Amino acid sequence: MRIFDMFVPENLVELLQFLDAHQSGVHLIANGTDLINRMQRRQITPKLLVDLTGLNEFKYVRREGGMIRIGALTTISELVASPLIDPRYSVFKQVAMKFGGPSIINMATIGGNICAASSSEDLLPVLLVLEAQVQLRSVNGERTIPLNDFITGKRKTLLRPNEILTETSLPELDTSSTCGYEKIGMRNSLIIAFVNCAVYLKMNNQTKNIDDVRISFNRTSGKIPQRAQETENALKGKRFNEQSITDAATVLRGELKLTSDFRASEEYRTEVAGAIMKRILRSCAQKLSGEQIIV
Amino acid sequence: MSKHLLNITVNGKKHAVVVQSHERLLDVLRDRLGLKGTKEGCSTGDCGICAVLMDGKLVNSCLVFAIQARNKEIVTIEGVGTAEKLHPIQRAFMKWNASQCGYCIPAMILASKELLDRNPNPTTEEIRNATSGIICRCTGYVKIFEAIKTAAAEMRAAD
Amino acid sequence: MTNQPKASLQTRQQTLVVGTSAERVDSLDKVLGKPIYTMDIVPENALYVKVVRSTVCHALLKKVHLSRARNHPGVVAVVTAQDIPGINESTALLPDKPLFATDRVRFAGEPIAAIASFDPNIAEEALDLVEIEYEPLPSVFSPIEAMEPDSPKIHPNGNVCKYLKVRKGDVEEGFKQADIIIEGTYKTPFQEPVPLEPEAGFVIPEPDGSVICVGSMQSPYHVQTGIAKILSLRPEQVRVIQAVTGGAFGPKSDEIPVDVLGIAALVAIRTRKPAALAYTREESMIGHTKRHPFVVSLKAGVKRNGKLTAWEAKLVADTGAYASLGPLVVIRACFHATGPYVIPNVKTDAYCVYTNNTMAGSFRGFGGPQSHFAAESHMDEIAKKLGMDPVEFRLINILKPGTRTATNQLVDEGCGLEECITKAVKESGWHEKRLQFKKMNGTKKRGLGIAIMYHGNSLGPEGNDYGTVHMQIDPDGTTRLRTALTEYGTGAPSALLQIAAETMGLPLRYFKLDASDTEYCGDSGPTVASRTITIGGRATQMIAGKLGQKLGEIAAEMLQCSVNEIDVRDGVYQRRSFGKSVGFVDVVANAYAKGTSLKEAGTFTAPKCEYNPETSQGTVYLQYTYGAVTAEVEVDTETGRVQVLKMVTAYDIGKAINPVSLEGQIEGGTIQGLGYALMEEMIHKNGVVMNPNLADYYVPTSLDIPEMKMIIVEYPGALGPFGAKAVGEPPIVLPAPAIVNAIYDAIGVRIDEIPATPDRVLLALRNAGRARGRS
Repeated sequence: MRIFDMFVPENLVELLQFLDAHQSGVHLIANGTDLINRMQRRQITPKLLVDLTGLNEFKYVRREGGMIRIGALTTISELVASPLIDPRYSVFKQVAMKFGGPSIINMATIGGNICAASSSEDLLPVLLVLEAQVQLRSVNGERTIPLNDFITGKRKTLLRPNEILTETSLPELDTSSTCGYEKIGMRNSLIIAFVNCAVYLKMNNQTKNIDDVRISFNRTSGKIPQRAQETENALKGKRFNEQSITDAATVLRGELKLTSDFRASEEYRTEVAGAIMKRILRSCAQKLSGEQIIV
Repeated sequence: MSKHLLNITVNGKKHAVVVQSHERLLDVLRDRLGLKGTKEGCSTGDCGICAVLMDGKLVNSCLVFAIQARNKEIVTIEGVGTAEKLHPIQRAFMKWNASQCGYCIPAMILASKELLDRNPNPTTEEIRNATSGIICRCTGYVKIFEAIKTAAAEMRAAD
Repeated sequence: MTNQPKASLQTRQQTLVVGTSAERVDSLDKVLGKPIYTMDIVPENALYVKVVRSTVCHALLKKVHLSRARNHPGVVAVVTAQDIPGINESTALLPDKPLFATDRVRFAGEPIAAIASFDPNIAEEALDLVEIEYEPLPSVFSPIEAMEPDSPKIHPNGNVCKYLKVRKGDVEEGFKQADIIIEGTYKTPFQEPVPLEPEAGFVIPEPDGSVICVGSMQSPYHVQTGIAKILSLRPEQVRVIQAVTGGAFGPKSDEIPVDVLGIAALVAIRTRKPAALAYTREESMIGHTKRHPFVVSLKAGVKRNGKLTAWEAKLVADTGAYASLGPLVVIRACFHATGPYVIPNVKTDAYCVYTNNTMAGSFRGFGGPQSHFAAESHMDEIAKKLGMDPVEFRLINILKPGTRTATNQLVDEGCGLEECITKAVKESGWHEKRLQFKKMNGTKKRGLGIAIMYHGNSLGPEGNDYGTVHMQIDPDGTTRLRTALTEYGTGAPSALLQIAAETMGLPLRYFKLDASDTEYCGDSGPTVASRTITIGGRATQMIAGKLGQKLGEIAAEMLQCSVNEIDVRDGVYQRRSFGKSVGFVDVVANAYAKGTSLKEAGTFTAPKCEYNPETSQGTVYLQYTYGAVTAEVEVDTETGRVQVLKMVTAYDIGKAINPVSLEGQIEGGTIQGLGYALMEEMIHKNGVVMNPNLADYYVPTSLDIPEMKMIIVEYPGALGPFGAKAVGEPPIVLPAPAIVNAIYDAIGVRIDEIPATPDRVLLALRNAGRARGRS
């Protein structure tokens, strides 16, 4: 481990002032699951870290103003333990199950996941299809940005040097909408996904009309999680059936711009993306209608 | 900002240690407090071998800088039982010869403890999930599961 | 058709301690988390060492700039090859590998220098200050290409460091007799052993010039010889103590502990301070030895009635930049290249080839997994061509007592292969399930596959096979055993105590296992090849027998009878005719009072294996372990993911010394084999390892394991104590072919290269679909 300095703020005010004074060369650290890993692999060698773990005021899951608000330092296991998660947001339990075992979910924070902004952060596709927003705070005040805009590139966000992410908020799901997730990797635990996919589906149970659909993958084009908007448009307003989701998978094939790496080939990722998208769509539709729609 | 006074409770005992920023909880446990039972397997949080209980929750001690564990209660393998008073989990691991090279055993025992402390009657699925973040290369996990079931039964009978 | 269970099972005498699932003697310290591993016991004032490694895979070393590192505050010493008092060599077999590279590097990760500081973080920082000027040389990464005459030469004597062959009968004649000829090529990867404790060692320099080496290792005497050579010391001046070792599986048996302790020793003698070197996980994965990738080309001839007539095999092993024990791996693979079958005409050619990849060497199985993956995959292909059930086809051709192997060795009565097969097949529900699976619809397909094996025990042709055991009884009755055959997870040394207890008629609780320390234990050869119970067990029987005899004589004197009238059981010496008895503690006290020595030590040497080196015909191993494994899989045809649902393993292990430890070895080896089948591959790109970490190198987790059913079959072998056979290595051999054969049963696609990753499986499915579409 390379040697560095760490600033441990007593409270939020101290933290924000410190960040404002330093502006650059500072790395924020929550529970370090991503940061320490990268430091050990010598991908980054920060000289100054700022410890966020003392700010317990950012550990919460609340319902307020029609939104589910999650404090940035809430861990994955704290999130899924919240009574607000069941049953509408059971998708977070699906994410937690495949996240990497108890010791990882006990540490990984929502804020940490978001700010890492990489395709190995499993929460991001789910938060994107839930149209999450992030709240950022600095000495200058607060601002709220859609998560979709917040992540601008691989490990790049709109977080300013003097800002911290304090909260992510999700609009409440109504009874005609649900969310699903699946992760495919090399084994059943402790995996960086080859492909993971989150789907939000709003469907009219009588007509089976797809009122709204949002789809995101860990990589859609480039190396960050993004919404697959062409594919979404191909489904919106259509009747939910095997033909429409198969057509959507064809559009997806054209929309995805993936790459091969030593973990998996581009062809594999593209093909599996389509297959699991269809599976999640089917299971979302089934959840909403309570019946098996497709044989 | 390169040194900090760390107040921490380990296995029920309070400590005040001056630590450097880059020292991990794992380093402080092993090198400052002489508790060698917690092991380092990969340094990058991918194997779970360094797991300890922090405020009752299993965490990878290689992914926590020591100062981030301030004011927390840590339990390491040394705090689970002694030769004179073995924890049922330790007895069960011995009975099943669940320890082969032994390197994953402290983490496995702590993961078992976290599980059984909150869920005294776990299913096989729950046992698998509780140990899913810890790699064992020697045993194939089977005898570890048996040991946890045996320990659970013994702990339930004792209540 | 089927043999009856061996009569000798009934006639074998009852054992009291052997055959019980006694608790291992090392468990208590491990469940308590006691400081017993190498890095737990590093002396207070030790220096910590970090290794400078090459980043280029094949190059001349033009200049290595170390002055900035030397001058970095906190750096105490920097050592290179120039600091070696003796010979710059750290090797397992061939004299091809230096401790530190001097003029040339041959793989990316090769050690060049080392930096020492009292603070390991400072030594690590100083690594960044080293600058190296390389002049790249042309490289080669495929062993097939490396065999070409115009390929870049990695070592002066050429790239093939070992070639051997098997010639039995006349293959050309055999092919003429065949009705059908089937060819296939099979490939296996670099499998990384992943011992959970990365390599570690420390060296204490003594005032008299000698050194004490403590480390994580399998073979203390190999380390002693290697360090003595490097430091120009006599072996007696190098004391080697094995610390409790957190897993090994092969890499810690050969040159790797010599690398670690040799480098630490150079720092220690330079600075006159203890010096410790602990590999990081990344360093361990790059720097230590892994399983040899093999390319195996097979051609088989078979008659329509299912009888094999000819088998031609070409095995090419990639040993990486340095040979390590590659030549011996290739020998074992060569002798097992047919699998456990009767084939009258066999032609096998096997090559061990250098490339600029990282090193391959010992790893559990040692050539057996590669040979069997190819042979057992091919057997299924042959069965398919014949339209026969894979089990039925195998049973027509298997080795049985009285038949001969590919090396023309006569199979003796200790062969339980057939029983293994029939029991595994029954337990797996073979016939019913395979029919049922064919009727399943949906995108998830199930299949059932089988693979069978044989495994020559102990060293066989690989070296002199001996084991040395020391025993002594303390005044309080503690009966100590020590040996340089080491414990690193197998439980085998604990089993030696059971053998001693059984032999002496004493309860197991009287026994204690001491550390493997060259000061107190004689050379016992390497702890490899599952030889601890077989060879070490025979040595134990011998020594325990002598000690027991002494005790019996003393008891006889105390009971005033002849020693032939004494029965001993559970520590009580009973005079048969008058029923009087005397207890162990009293016998020991008596011995001490009279000044009778209660110490014995000695070496058991196995008979040499006699065979023709030209044709490899003869007795190549003294006994064989046999086995059959079935695997039931579910293949997700949309994602290519394969789940193994159930495995049935049946092994003929001669005699189970400790059943629960035996099961632990089988379960552990089976899961390593499952990893080999589905997910494990050290990926090299132009010689550089792409996944030297546990995030991208996948070993099975607790969520990946199938239901496992174990069947133990006991056909005593000629070599081991109580007929025990080797069990450490065999379990890793068969899961891969069984799983790949099950995948074939599920989706009708042959995966001829492992691991059968989701990518490979899906690609194979799509290619097969496209081929079907075209035809």
